[in-house]
Amino acid sequence: MAHSPLHIVIVGGGSAGWMCAAACAQVLHPQRYRLTLIESDDIGTVGVGEATLPALRDFNTLLRIDEAQFMRETQATFKLGIEFRNWDWPGEHYVHPFGSFGQLWGGVEFQHHWLRARRRGLNPAPLEEFSCAVRACRRNAFEFPDPKTPRSTFYGYAYHFDAGLYAQFLRGWSRARGVKRIEGQVVDVALDGESGDITSLTLKSGQKLDGDFFVDASGFRSILLGDKLGSPWEDWTHFLPCDRAWAVPCERSADFTPFTRSIAQPAGWIWRIPLQHRTGNGHVFASRFVSEDQARATLLGQLDGRAIAEPKLLRFRAGRRAVAWKRNCVGIGLASGFLEPLESTSLFLIQQGIQDMLRLLPAPETGGVDERLSDEFNRLSDALYERIRDFLILHYVANRRHGEPLWDHVRSYPLPESLAHKLQLFASRGHVPYFKDGFFSRDSWLAVLFGQGLAPRAYDPLADFIPLAELDAKLRVLHASVATHAGNMPAHADVVTRYCGESEPARQVAMT
Amino acid sequence: MNNAASDLAIQNLVIVGRDAPVWLAACVMQSALGPAGLHVTVVELPGVMGPADTYATLPALEPLHARLRIDESRLMAATCGAFTLGKHFHDTTGRTAAFFHAYGSTGARIDNTEFLPNWIKARHYGLQVAFEDFSLTAAAARHGRMLVPDAEIERHGFTDYGYHLPAFPYGAWLKQLALRRGVSMHETQALGVLMKADTLDIAGVELDGGRRVMGDFFIDATGDGAALLAGKLGVQRESWRGSFPADRVLVAHAPPIPSLPVYADVRAGETGWLAVHPNQACTHVIHAFSSETSEHSAVVNAERLARLALSGTEIRVRDPGRRVFAWERNCVAIGEAACVFDPIHGADLQAVQLGLVHLLPLFPVDADYAAERNEYNKNLQAAFERIRDFQSAHYVLNRYDGAFWERARLTPVSRDLLRKIGVFRARGDVVHYEDESFSIDDWRALLLGHGVMPETWDPAVDRTPPDLLKEELRRILGFIRRKVEEQRSHAQYLQGARSPLQM
Repeated sequence: MAHSPLHIVIVGGGSAGWMCAAACAQVLHPQRYRLTLIESDDIGTVGVGEATLPALRDFNTLLRIDEAQFMRETQATFKLGIEFRNWDWPGEHYVHPFGSFGQLWGGVEFQHHWLRARRRGLNPAPLEEFSCAVRACRRNAFEFPDPKTPRSTFYGYAYHFDAGLYAQFLRGWSRARGVKRIEGQVVDVALDGESGDITSLTLKSGQKLDGDFFVDASGFRSILLGDKLGSPWEDWTHFLPCDRAWAVPCERSADFTPFTRSIAQPAGWIWRIPLQHRTGNGHVFASRFVSEDQARATLLGQLDGRAIAEPKLLRFRAGRRAVAWKRNCVGIGLASGFLEPLESTSLFLIQQGIQDMLRLLPAPETGGVDERLSDEFNRLSDALYERIRDFLILHYVANRRHGEPLWDHVRSYPLPESLAHKLQLFASRGHVPYFKDGFFSRDSWLAVLFGQGLAPRAYDPLADFIPLAELDAKLRVLHASVATHAGNMPAHADVVTRYCGESEPARQVAMT
Repeated sequence: MNNAASDLAIQNLVIVGRDAPVWLAACVMQSALGPAGLHVTVVELPGVMGPADTYATLPALEPLHARLRIDESRLMAATCGAFTLGKHFHDTTGRTAAFFHAYGSTGARIDNTEFLPNWIKARHYGLQVAFEDFSLTAAAARHGRMLVPDAEIERHGFTDYGYHLPAFPYGAWLKQLALRRGVSMHETQALGVLMKADTLDIAGVELDGGRRVMGDFFIDATGDGAALLAGKLGVQRESWRGSFPADRVLVAHAPPIPSLPVYADVRAGETGWLAVHPNQACTHVIHAFSSETSEHSAVVNAERLARLALSGTEIRVRDPGRRVFAWERNCVAIGEAACVFDPIHGADLQAVQLGLVHLLPLFPVDADYAAERNEYNKNLQAAFERIRDFQSAHYVLNRYDGAFWERARLTPVSRDLLRKIGVFRARGDVVHYEDESFSIDDWRALLLGHGVMPETWDPAVDRTPPDLLKEELRRILGFIRRKVEEQRSHAQYLQGARSPLQM
């Protein structure tokens, strides 16, 4: 090929850096793109127990990663959703599943049929009992979804794993495929006097590294995109005031859940992520409403196993870089923005950024930055961040937790117009707008809206075409089929042990 | 247990309008909300559609018909309509490259990657075969064959079709259907609108002879004048006149074309364009031009471009633009009452369909429907602007000769379209927004057809070995040749569609 390869330099070796390196190594042609990743053993990564979304499976599929091996090496478990405890009101709980509730009948969404049944006195079972994933969660059960199953019993799944081990796993994977790793710390960034493009990095060792394209995966420090190129920070702490987290692992408990748990607290929330060898815990909190010491004590007081390390304090701010791709530099992960991990979006944002970047990457023939492409990346990135932001705020405003400073504070702040509109539409008729792009899906919105106690004033009259007696019968049949499907699933703990437990590399489960 | 729907806030829906749009609206509303207890009444105004008018529809109409349980073969027999696999765009001089906009995908996935970037890359390394030559749908159309997907074709890619539906018989057919399904009807020459005393809502309409039809909610399908939405509620109009070079439309009909083509032929002339829509009983012709050309010259130009003896010629003003709100108070405007499109790409029925399909899940459930109205107006604005952009692209990107086309190249371009063209030129990627009526395949056909050649390609295809790429390209061309041979001619297909065995 006529052109010399385009040199991509990735700065930072956490999940963002190594996910990016791995995807580049898999997709890009080595004669057209050269890859270098700079990381420093002196700089810790945020890496804690990580809960993911089903989209991560697409990422692993892209890399043709063997699932059982990956799960074994990262201490992974399966995840069918997130259980939210005490969010609406202390004692209440619901699951946001990776899957739908019921099924469409006559092109009309299930919630309308269910609402109609309730309105007309058919006393249908609770909505969550029409979700196969929720019922599996209630039993701590798991089974691989069968793609041939009808929508009513279909669900997706994701993983819980150790993010540090995932980065390590991808590091090995990437280096075996030609990614060059340089140990070092970036101390200087040189810009082209005319274009303002980054031309080279100088490391602490004095080594100078030239590059054509730079990925800033340096975390919150954002040393290229933020520090050097000055992409401004757009602050969202008025919407999402949590700015700290204590993280601590504890011994694995008997409660081996196929879901993440999120427990609301007076000044934030606590996560619980089951891994094979331990349980990851953390308390996300707003420092203006609770002291660090008190938050630490709250976390340690709620562990369901003995802590096996000292709690680690993480600091962050909700928001994002107004321009995620500037000149010849794109920010991936925390370098481009942060949203609290309430809906497990951290790795998803990384993954989406990488996939969009790969599609829109400069070509060796043209070399330089093409603003038509970077603008499109930024448009996609903006939409994704804003939709996820709205979904997170929803959790904080749709509840009855009055009288607690954090919750009152968030509710008192004017909502983004996009969210206020969605809430009105749902309140009016249980309708959730559909979007082709971006997250979260309609099913996810419904799970949280209903889960946090909101109730529409009416159902959609399009549902009226089914005679009531027939609706009653259909609901009963569906309810029984979902119950049977979920009831036949084996225990999550057993599936993990058989499929990817440390001793047995058995794959029979996947085969059957 | 009964289906009591007594708590439906809107019990009486009145649809005011004419021709196919009013009856399509009646069929859709009646079949979707009749079971909930909605009473649908149509107030029919005198039609303006005549024997020279035809709807060249987009593929989206077929699923709507299916939802209404319309039997396609009967519809085609009753209207003497025809199928269409796409549009062939060319100029009569042959100076500008012709292209085919087929209703289907082009090529097939290669080495688990998209076809287009592979084609761009192959072209970069010397491939001479045009993009559309890899379209099975276009190939079938060129050979006069209707394309009926089998399992092999479905694995290969996606294919679809639209209709040419003669407007007058189509409207009459929908009217019969609506009446059979229980819609009430009043005919009138004159129309007055009555307001509620206490609110700014519409209370009813007054017909000739002093008859009154009262309602809770109204659909305005009266055409571009929007008698209710604009005439009474005063909703303003946003003109798109500046974006489109044509402000006059000539329609006419001609004898049927032997060996019935299965596509529309769109010909650029120096003073506008002309589309030939083949139908079973006759050929429908539409000619768009600027009022700078005299009507007399337009008729001459149309006959020259059509190369057919035209009759029933009518000329009408066309003034593209959008009502700033399609839903105001208790009235929703659909079709031309909400948005008038340029006639290229046949979006008229699509505008009606969009209005109805978006209305169904937002139809008021109680007296407070501000959220629904906001959502509807937002969605419809986006959907209409996306269609406008598709049409606008056809004009600004054109490479045809003549003052009409020169002026078209200088019309303003929306930011969204500018981005779309820019990203496609840079990478071959289609920026596909929310609420697009035209698919990614449509955009590819349009942009490549007008010569927007991507400068680079998605690097995901770089790893495919050149030999495999060549072999796959050859295989796809072979597949297309073989599959086209297997298809029946358009006329044979229509015969089959008409036979009772197909029902």
